[in-house]
Amino acid sequence: MSTVLTKSEVKRNDKLMERSGSFTNPFERKSRVSKFRRVPIYLLTVVMIAPYYWMITSSLKSVKELQVVPPTLFPKKIIWGNYFDSNFNPTMFQQDVMQGLFQRYPDLKFGFFRFMMNSFFVNISITISTLIIGSLAAYVVSKHRFKGKKAVYLVIIGSMMIPWQVGLIPGFLLMDQFGWLNTFWAYIVPALPKAFIVFFLTQYLTSIPDELVEAARIDGASEFTIYFRVILPLLKPALIAMMIFTAIGEWNNFLWPLIITTSQDMATLPVALANLRNSGAGNIGTQGVIMGASLITSIPTIALYFATQKHFIRGIALSGLK
Amino acid sequence: MLSPFAILFLVFSVYPVLSSLRLSFMRYNAICNPDQSPCGSVGFGNYTTLIFQDDRFHKALSNTALYVIGAVILGMIASLSLALALQEDTRANRILRVIFFLPSVTSGIAVVLVWGWVFRGDAVGLLNAILNLVGVEPIEWLATTWMAIPILIFMSMWGGAGFGMILFLAGLNSIPAMYYEAAVIDGAGPRQRFRYITLPLLRPVMVYVGITGTIGAFQIFEGVYLLFPTSVGSIGGLQDMALMIVPYLYDAGFNKFRLGYASAIAWILFAIIFVVSMINLRITRSLEDLK
Repeated sequence: MSTVLTKSEVKRNDKLMERSGSFTNPFERKSRVSKFRRVPIYLLTVVMIAPYYWMITSSLKSVKELQVVPPTLFPKKIIWGNYFDSNFNPTMFQQDVMQGLFQRYPDLKFGFFRFMMNSFFVNISITISTLIIGSLAAYVVSKHRFKGKKAVYLVIIGSMMIPWQVGLIPGFLLMDQFGWLNTFWAYIVPALPKAFIVFFLTQYLTSIPDELVEAARIDGASEFTIYFRVILPLLKPALIAMMIFTAIGEWNNFLWPLIITTSQDMATLPVALANLRNSGAGNIGTQGVIMGASLITSIPTIALYFATQKHFIRGIALSGLK
Repeated sequence: MLSPFAILFLVFSVYPVLSSLRLSFMRYNAICNPDQSPCGSVGFGNYTTLIFQDDRFHKALSNTALYVIGAVILGMIASLSLALALQEDTRANRILRVIFFLPSVTSGIAVVLVWGWVFRGDAVGLLNAILNLVGVEPIEWLATTWMAIPILIFMSMWGGAGFGMILFLAGLNSIPAMYYEAAVIDGAGPRQRFRYITLPLLRPVMVYVGITGTIGAFQIFEGVYLLFPTSVGSIGGLQDMALMIVPYLYDAGFNKFRLGYASAIAWILFAIIFVVSMINLRITRSLEDLK
């Protein structure tokens, strides 16, 4: 396991991939079982899809149908009550409220939408800022000469070996001292310095010849011009890969949001989801609402994955291998 | 231009780690004065208690060890098998790869909640409903002590096999076809080709998948937190059957407010991950020296 591939290596690998891939020997007879060889993989596919199928269909079942033994495979009648319940009565006790995901937070401005907005706001802020800060740092580390540069880079790389939970308790105390608990600051600011991004972008930049930067410098370009005109365009593929990973990782983050939020209105979707489940735990009638909320939590990252599939797979190959 | 990163990195990455090391030698609950009794320095007290006396921590350690071994080995086998099965670049395979990869981008909490329903102990639980078709009485999946770890391993395989598969596919595709052609000319069968070409050339990928998988598995939290609550304000399930290191850290830190103790747990976690990664690397290196 060593460093990231250079651009020319990637191109060469792509060519290799075209030439290679799976190989079948034309002289070997296909065995007779080959027709059924793929049955296990299709069975596994069913296991893979089943949870998603269950999320969707259960969120469309009535409370009565959810309680049926054995559970029904298809909703007998599709109802939207788990999302919006026309008989919703906010004066009922919490545990009696079975349906109405978007109505069940009457004390909260925007109700359940509030959690979605929190998630989106936190996510977009972190992703954009961390990439800007990280790429600036990577530019300096890879293209500037200064004293102690090696030491700085070593500390950054070394920090990746320490599991982030080591800093969990002091991180929490720090947020408390700053008065940041239950604020967006606690979500965003500590998430900004990402060593992996600096490491990855630095590796990527060192494969780019210094002459490009030096030529711009001789032409009188300022450091920021070089950053915007030379570095950022060169980094684009790497930045896209990092953007996707950061966005998905932060969206699904759970433990840190769990400890820095105590008031409901600051929860992001995963935390809201866990709270929702804990409030109605065990009651099968509330499962429809919970599945609906799970579905809403899952869709954005899946959509991002579908939209950026090519970059995504390339990004994994870029950052992980060789 | 380095300064924004440098300042944030020092304050939010370096300082917490150093501070956590200091805390791990103290008794502290966030309210007391750290220099006065009952708080203050306890020397190696937290560590000796954890290592020699704390039965819950020992349980957490043995559970985590079982889970990591199972999840990493079975996960690796699953990933490699999937990559081999879906290697051919056909339309059907491309779709299947996407499906198998989906859990890697799905919110862990959302997925755990579905599994919670699958493994429900009553007759509405999905697995019980399926088993009922062949006449099996409902089983209390999440309240049967020996089942907790296998269930968590299963969940980790479902969630992680697709990611490993993508890495293995990239590895498989970078093996030039001419090696296989040469082997065929020399009369090697499919099994020999796999044993003497595919496996050795995939070793770097296996090391990577193994190490990252191990590190990830040690940090399991969400599944335990949601599926195995004990009573109010504790974690780990019946007889701590699913207690693991990070959930125990959370329990000590944020349920019982023993912040120094929790920091010591975090450092033991770091030590374990560090040692295991080093052993992993050393083993693969010595394997390479053998050749």
